[in-house]
Amino acid sequence: MLSRRTLIVQLPAFGLAGAYVMRASAADKSVTIGINLPFTGADAHDAQLIKEGALLAIDDANAKGGPGGYKINVILLDDGSATAGQYDPAQAATNARKMVADENVVAAIGPQMSGSGKAMAPILSQGNLATITPSSTNPDITDPKFASTYMPGGKAIYFRTVTTDAFQGPNMANYMADTLKIKSVYILDDSGAYGVGLANAYEAQAKKRGVNVMGHDQLDPKEADYTTILTKVKSMNPDALYYGGVAQAGVKVVKQSYDIMPKMIRAGGDGVYGAEILKGGGFPAAEGLYATIAAPDLLANPDSETFIKSFAAKYGEQPENYSITAYDAALVIIDAIERVAKSGKPVDHNNVRDAIQDSQAKTLQGAVSFDKNGDITSRVVSVFQITHDPKSPDDDVLHQYKYVGVAPATS
Amino acid sequence: MSWEAVYLQQVINGLSLGAMYALLALGFTLVYGILELINFAHFNVFMVSSFIGMMALEFLGLSGQSHILTGLALAGVLFFAFVATMLAAGLLGVAIERFALRPLRGIPGTVGMITTIGVSYILFNLVLLTKGAGSFNFPNPMPRISWTIGGAVLDLREVLIWGVALVLMLGLHLFVNKTRLGKAMRATAQDSEAARMMGVDVDRVILVAFFLGSALAGAAALIFGLYYNYTSFIIGYTAGLRAFTAAVLGGIGSVTGAMVGGIIIGLIEALGGQMIAVRWTDVIIFSLLVLVLVFAPTGLMGRANPTKS
Repeated sequence: MLSRRTLIVQLPAFGLAGAYVMRASAADKSVTIGINLPFTGADAHDAQLIKEGALLAIDDANAKGGPGGYKINVILLDDGSATAGQYDPAQAATNARKMVADENVVAAIGPQMSGSGKAMAPILSQGNLATITPSSTNPDITDPKFASTYMPGGKAIYFRTVTTDAFQGPNMANYMADTLKIKSVYILDDSGAYGVGLANAYEAQAKKRGVNVMGHDQLDPKEADYTTILTKVKSMNPDALYYGGVAQAGVKVVKQSYDIMPKMIRAGGDGVYGAEILKGGGFPAAEGLYATIAAPDLLANPDSETFIKSFAAKYGEQPENYSITAYDAALVIIDAIERVAKSGKPVDHNNVRDAIQDSQAKTLQGAVSFDKNGDITSRVVSVFQITHDPKSPDDDVLHQYKYVGVAPATS
Repeated sequence: MSWEAVYLQQVINGLSLGAMYALLALGFTLVYGILELINFAHFNVFMVSSFIGMMALEFLGLSGQSHILTGLALAGVLFFAFVATMLAAGLLGVAIERFALRPLRGIPGTVGMITTIGVSYILFNLVLLTKGAGSFNFPNPMPRISWTIGGAVLDLREVLIWGVALVLMLGLHLFVNKTRLGKAMRATAQDSEAARMMGVDVDRVILVAFFLGSALAGAAALIFGLYYNYTSFIIGYTAGLRAFTAAVLGGIGSVTGAMVGGIIIGLIEALGGQMIAVRWTDVIIFSLLVLVLVFAPTGLMGRANPTKS
């Protein structure tokens, strides 16, 4: 046991040791990127594919000595919870606080889901810590109308490498009216921030295009049974069913809508684009489903070929489009860190945020730049249709979703 | 579809849901009748059973909806799956009773109930850890055979669900009312101390109640999987809560009450969703529950038991 005297003698020694450790880390030069995704719950597999996309870029950068000589550390934060069974906004807020409190964190990647984004944005804004989301598309978060809620710190901190549902919903409404020639539609959403926003944006444009919106109902994503509502839809006999929401309810909508009305045109947003829908929905239930993503079809881009190869080699599975937007998000941050380091300014979250705002980073979707709210300047929405490819695994997004075109913007 | 056809279709949907809830509600009622214990672990015994059912079907070489069987092969596969799932679920229930609840027997208050909540969480997280959080594509070997009745579609799987539920409920009814062990159960439910004095092995009766209740949850879980072709670690909560409501609505402790309560809840869910909106389903169900409890505190078929204070 230590006597009081030895304790007093040893204290300065501890202090010295602490100082030494701090100096050592400064000499190593490292920074941290936080990655916040729902690794628990219904979207876990897609969260995994997004994480792997981001890590691929970060590992490459570290292998080359790190941007500006800074080694990048990663902290993984899970905003999915067992009680929610999917993303959990409360957990996302906790994670945002964790990242803001950690001085080494200079930027973040995520969240996957807009519901989490709405919880995180105010906290990140107060801490002036930038995050780049590879997939969350709810427009409110970056809308200047809601700046006092989501941007109380004054500067944009919620950047996206995808566009928003202000384009994803309406463009798909245009596509369905123009190309699929639907005259009537029934709309369902999953009561989540993303699902409601997407479905409302879709509904408004569908009405403008003269499509008869026969109803718009909200589903409880934890509920197992949607046969009631789908029977109601069947009795109205619309030309199409549009679903705004993520996989937890989406899988059941896909399955049960096939059971009840196998021939109906079914469509959704990027919430029904992914491995979870294929795995949980299965064939033949998922066959023919239309899905959009709020980005160009990056996997078709010839530049992506090396990416797809190294992704498959490293992780033993095929990437999806949001693996690439995550890869791009990481490239933007790496580029920002490098520019800050070269300018001689301290590499901290304030300077990295400013550098991200001015980004011109070269990525797989071309040069990425953001407007003053954090939205990406490119606004392409791509449409896919699930077409069973029996030669590939059933949950292989790359081969089971067939690219069918660009959803036209509202002119 | 004409409106008659729509309502007929919703009644078919509601009866299928109701059959599932009724089977699940029986587990709550059996245990409550004997121990006066609300067994919250039952929620997730149901969920775990659906995974057991899935594994049983996959063990037979089925996956997804691509293997369609007919005739004897189908009957054999389903029979094996039901027996395996119900047996495994029953044993799980027995294990919960033996290792988590029996040591606490005789301690007054809510200790037992809180323990079941704990067990429920353990099961939930065990599945989350071992099977992951995704939605699973539950194998379904049944061919798509359906009949059109007055514009509504009746599927083979619905007929099967009703058939299995009916057979199991009838079996339980006969067991409780016609066998020695059933008599011992009823005696224990009325007054366990007096039953013990008459030579009833109360511990054994309790184990049997847990076994039967959990086995029925196993059957409900397999039906759930075959009906929705889906399972996930999260299915226990909603189904369990509805079934629990059904048990209370019918009169907790009453076997017939649980069956009636389950069917009522299923029908309300389907018809309420049709007439109002699906997002109001829970509001309708729980408002009805509150009304029933206000005007008939023991539920529709429950009797106030004078021998219990």
